[in-house]
Amino acid sequence: MFDVSLGRQRTQLCNGTSRRDFLRVGGVGLFGLSLSGFLASQARAQSPGAIVKPKARAKSIILVYLGGGLSHHDTFDMKPDAPEEIRGKYKSIPTTVTGLRICELLPRMAKTMDKICLVRSQSHENDHHETATNWVLSGRFGSPFGDYPAMGAVVALETGFAGILPPYVAIPKNPSFTWELGKSAFLGGRYESFKAGDPNQKDYKVRDLARLEQLTSRAVERRQNLLAAVDTLSERIHGNDQIATYDQFQKKAAQIVTSKEAQSAFDMAAEPDKLRDEYGRTEFGQSCLLARRLVERGVRFVTVNFGGWDHHAKIWMNLEKKLPAFDQGFSAFINDMQGRGLLKDTLVVCMGEFGRTPKINKDVGRDHWGRAGSMIFAGAGVTPGGVVGASDKTGSYVTDRPCRPADVAYTVYSALGINPRDQVHTPEGRPLEILSEGANIGELFS
Amino acid sequence: MLVLLPFVLLALGTPAQETPSFRQDIVPLLTRYGCNAGSCHGKLAGQNGFRLSLRGYAPELDYDWLTRELNGRRIDYARPEGSLLLLKATAQVGHEGGKRFDKDSRAAQTLVAWIVHRTPGPAPRESDAVGLDISPAGEVLEVGHTRQLVATARWPDGRTRDVTWLCQFFSNDESTVSVTPEGLVKALRNGEGAVRVHFQGLVGVALFTMPYPAVVEPSRFAKKQNLIDDPVFAKLAALHIPPSPLCDDATFLRRAFLDAIGTLPTAAEAGAFLADNHPDKRARLVDSLLARPEWVDFWAMNFCDFLQNRRERDHDVRGPKNVRAFHAWVRGQLAINRPWNQIARDLILATGDSSSHPEIGYFIYTIGEKQNVAESEVGESVAQALLGTRIGCAKCHNHPLEKYTQDDYYRFVAFFAKVQLKRTDPEKGVTTLSVASREETDTRKEIERAAKALADARALPAADASARKKVLEAQKRLDELNERVVEIAAKPPTVTQPRTRKQMPATALDRRPQTFQAGHDPRENLANWITDPGNQAFSGAMVNRLWKHFMGVGLVEQVDDLRSSNPPTNPALWDALSGEFVAHGYDLKSVMRLIMTSRAYQLASDTVSANEQDRKFYSHYYARRLGAEVLADALASATGVADSFPGYPVGARAVQMPDPGVNSYFLTIFGRSDRVTACACEKSADVTLPQLLYLENGDELRSKLRSPDGRLASLLKKTPDNDAMTDAIFLATLARHPTAGEARAVNDAIASDDPRDEVFRDLFWALLNSKEFAFNH
Repeated sequence: MFDVSLGRQRTQLCNGTSRRDFLRVGGVGLFGLSLSGFLASQARAQSPGAIVKPKARAKSIILVYLGGGLSHHDTFDMKPDAPEEIRGKYKSIPTTVTGLRICELLPRMAKTMDKICLVRSQSHENDHHETATNWVLSGRFGSPFGDYPAMGAVVALETGFAGILPPYVAIPKNPSFTWELGKSAFLGGRYESFKAGDPNQKDYKVRDLARLEQLTSRAVERRQNLLAAVDTLSERIHGNDQIATYDQFQKKAAQIVTSKEAQSAFDMAAEPDKLRDEYGRTEFGQSCLLARRLVERGVRFVTVNFGGWDHHAKIWMNLEKKLPAFDQGFSAFINDMQGRGLLKDTLVVCMGEFGRTPKINKDVGRDHWGRAGSMIFAGAGVTPGGVVGASDKTGSYVTDRPCRPADVAYTVYSALGINPRDQVHTPEGRPLEILSEGANIGELFS
Repeated sequence: MLVLLPFVLLALGTPAQETPSFRQDIVPLLTRYGCNAGSCHGKLAGQNGFRLSLRGYAPELDYDWLTRELNGRRIDYARPEGSLLLLKATAQVGHEGGKRFDKDSRAAQTLVAWIVHRTPGPAPRESDAVGLDISPAGEVLEVGHTRQLVATARWPDGRTRDVTWLCQFFSNDESTVSVTPEGLVKALRNGEGAVRVHFQGLVGVALFTMPYPAVVEPSRFAKKQNLIDDPVFAKLAALHIPPSPLCDDATFLRRAFLDAIGTLPTAAEAGAFLADNHPDKRARLVDSLLARPEWVDFWAMNFCDFLQNRRERDHDVRGPKNVRAFHAWVRGQLAINRPWNQIARDLILATGDSSSHPEIGYFIYTIGEKQNVAESEVGESVAQALLGTRIGCAKCHNHPLEKYTQDDYYRFVAFFAKVQLKRTDPEKGVTTLSVASREETDTRKEIERAAKALADARALPAADASARKKVLEAQKRLDELNERVVEIAAKPPTVTQPRTRKQMPATALDRRPQTFQAGHDPRENLANWITDPGNQAFSGAMVNRLWKHFMGVGLVEQVDDLRSSNPPTNPALWDALSGEFVAHGYDLKSVMRLIMTSRAYQLASDTVSANEQDRKFYSHYYARRLGAEVLADALASATGVADSFPGYPVGARAVQMPDPGVNSYFLTIFGRSDRVTACACEKSADVTLPQLLYLENGDELRSKLRSPDGRLASLLKKTPDNDAMTDAIFLATLARHPTAGEARAVNDAIASDDPRDEVFRDLFWALLNSKEFAFNH
């Protein structure tokens, strides 16, 4: 049922492959072509003739993931004219963007809206946490168990371990409801996110990363000599992928443990107290700050996971608890990123797996709603102060510029200069396009 | 129209004399060209306002959508070739999906002919094709060569038809053979690859073999140890892949321990086995391992993985207590080596309360809170766990790769329709599983009341005429009710198919009608069918699991995805193994013994030239990382420092943990199964960076190596001799003596001025960090 290796091969796709299908002249036509001619023309159709390799706008992505599903009605897409059971409890306040109003619980974000672009048209048709999360994180629809690699894993595959730090890092960890999401799926363990833990903890350290023993260089050398003498399996066994990965990460781990650069990346104490306070002494605030430190050091894809937005009941109490941390952390993060010039080549995306139902339910909550939701984009050429898309007067359906999961993923990949139509391979050698549909959300950059 | 028709047909030069059938031509055509694919009009929301059922699972709906929606705008009877349907598909007007076929293609001609004939709908009594023959069904090909497949469909009336142009072709291994949408196969590299052909719900397979260029000396396949080796070596010989030599004793010892009981051999066990000169010592070791108590621990864990022994995600009524009780039940079955068919039977028929029948825990988890079993996961769980068959896709639409339809899915689930769970918080009492429809339960309550009324009437003075009348009436009522309850109980269990709203009576996946006996649990029919010796999916699923466990790669991969479209890599071996399993009364240990005593299992993991690329024909033992729990235990036993898991006594091993919810960073990063589904894929063998950081630099392992109560501390104290010390550390970790080169490296390190303790601690560290430790090889 949840097999990743079968069943989706050569699915006839709506976009992108149409050119290839153009060549699939029905039965008779094909045999008129020589095979090599057919393959050559097929190769042309697959080559980037149609989609030129995008020019990289960003070096890194920071994805702020609001797992559970943020209520757009009570934050960035308020409906003051809707009936009370839809508009909810809060008032809107003006922002630094003329005519744009957001929730009164987001006063700092209100002053930051001129630096980011609001998208009010996240849209898909799934209301299940895991299924929708896998969809928005990968840009591909599949089972709740994650048939397709998350964007971070694909980025790790495409960019590799350029520096000392892993290319894909999750702070504090991947999104999860019952099982872990945001995984590398068939790409394998090599491309899983590296989990940084909670940087708001006192004496924060990444587990197993900081060198615990004061190993002298002599001792390090001795260990490595002994290891080299006894670890000879890969000389005798060839063609084994697990062994190759083990060798690769064994070296990488040794480098990370002894590298000052890697250690200092996670040294939160190196940040001035005043700045740490500005981000807020919360898991989310400090996670944003750590994300900034990591992209400064070349990490290509950072997930800041801020879950707990699944407010089926007592939504006011819950939002009043959670929104202040978001308001403080995210606004400080955007301002700090901009102040340092980091927004120039970092694309920031903030989203959850869906919005929430227009109508407030009997438990004073809102339920899952994939058809409309809000997202934030910033940096890497995204128009500051922009608003893209819109939902209808009850926030139920998108009325303007629907942005589907594949569009978001397309935009992310393109920003990094990754061609979303490039192929990745399953362990069986099956080629698969990174994305089978979607297009760049051009409105973000106009 | 009469004038127009011949004109159109002539103009297109079509040979189509017959009226195209909606079911047999039009729907397969829409599938073939991807119109109804999940990413196009086949998705739930459709595409740009036009919806089709996914891969044509609901022709009646497709017909309405095609011909009636938008006031029939998609069809133009006056000018068939100008129908929107054709203009879109041939991209004569804007179509997001591009051009699916040419306007003078056979597909276009067929659609035109169908419209010309006034779009006949799906005829209710029209039967679908029942068989699909692929030619050639199997062939040896040279790399680079091609072959055109021909697909012939068969109908129940004996009619056949070439349907190649309406089929979809897929390679099961695209790196080995490729196939074009028209069915032209190309051999890409050496090995073997299957091509699947789909026509409507039917699937055919063609197998292509591309032997490596250099023929292997037959003498290299001469030595065989049991009936497994014949088919394994025959396949290798046919593919020209040489086998690796037999592994040495030390390797076999460690491999056998880890695979059979999930523990490392102790230094003493290793020493004794290596010193033993008996010619039969490998077989004797296998027997002794299969008899050990650790075998029960290890296999209880493996079974609990696919039997999903875990707490529920929401509103859990299992709690740690019931999860432990289910684990104990599985242990009890394995401890007496109960045959697999009997274990499976008891599981399917589990009834009673959670305290005296912990096996009902399986249904507490897989049915959960759902009052309606059709909404629960029990159907897909049972099929995947016991039959290695994934039917979950068919819950929402026909299975894309198998014959299973949505109806099949709900008929299968219907066996559980009478299962009723009375769920109770484990703190407050027991959860009970009973088997009776609601109607039956209500009638039985009425019978109780009627029986009481009868007793009351009888208690009245017998002389009283009105009392006699009351007795008669009460008796009549009771008799009626008793008759009625028999009728009700005899009703076959049904569930509602949510798409058609039809009642689906319980039927097994072979679609044979079932008869249900009153007073019997309908699940008995299911248990009989599942465990029938003729049901190769049942024996095969278990044999394939065991084969994968010992050999690293299943004969069918994924291990729980048996399908006619996913054939075993070695059918002769498949038949031999499942035949043996059935012949030995589903004795799990006998299959394990058979595998472990084969030469195929005992081949070295070292590759030889020309078998390095082989990953599925068993030319060598495929080295693999130890599973999370086994590796945790191996680190604990090698260092002599036990782990402690919250809620369990110190010394309880990771493989003994009943519950995947036990908090453990190690088990999480090394990929234990969460047991959320029955899928074997939940257990991960991936190698990741945090794993290596843990081993190289982690505080937990460091503490184990520095523990004053650990093996290293005690060895250092009592072993003054350096060579003996080195030997002891090698035996404790790798279950072998050091090689001369390794001994020299240790001596070189000692010869420097470094402290002895530190050198041996580093040696211990190096061995625990070596792949030889972390892998079974």
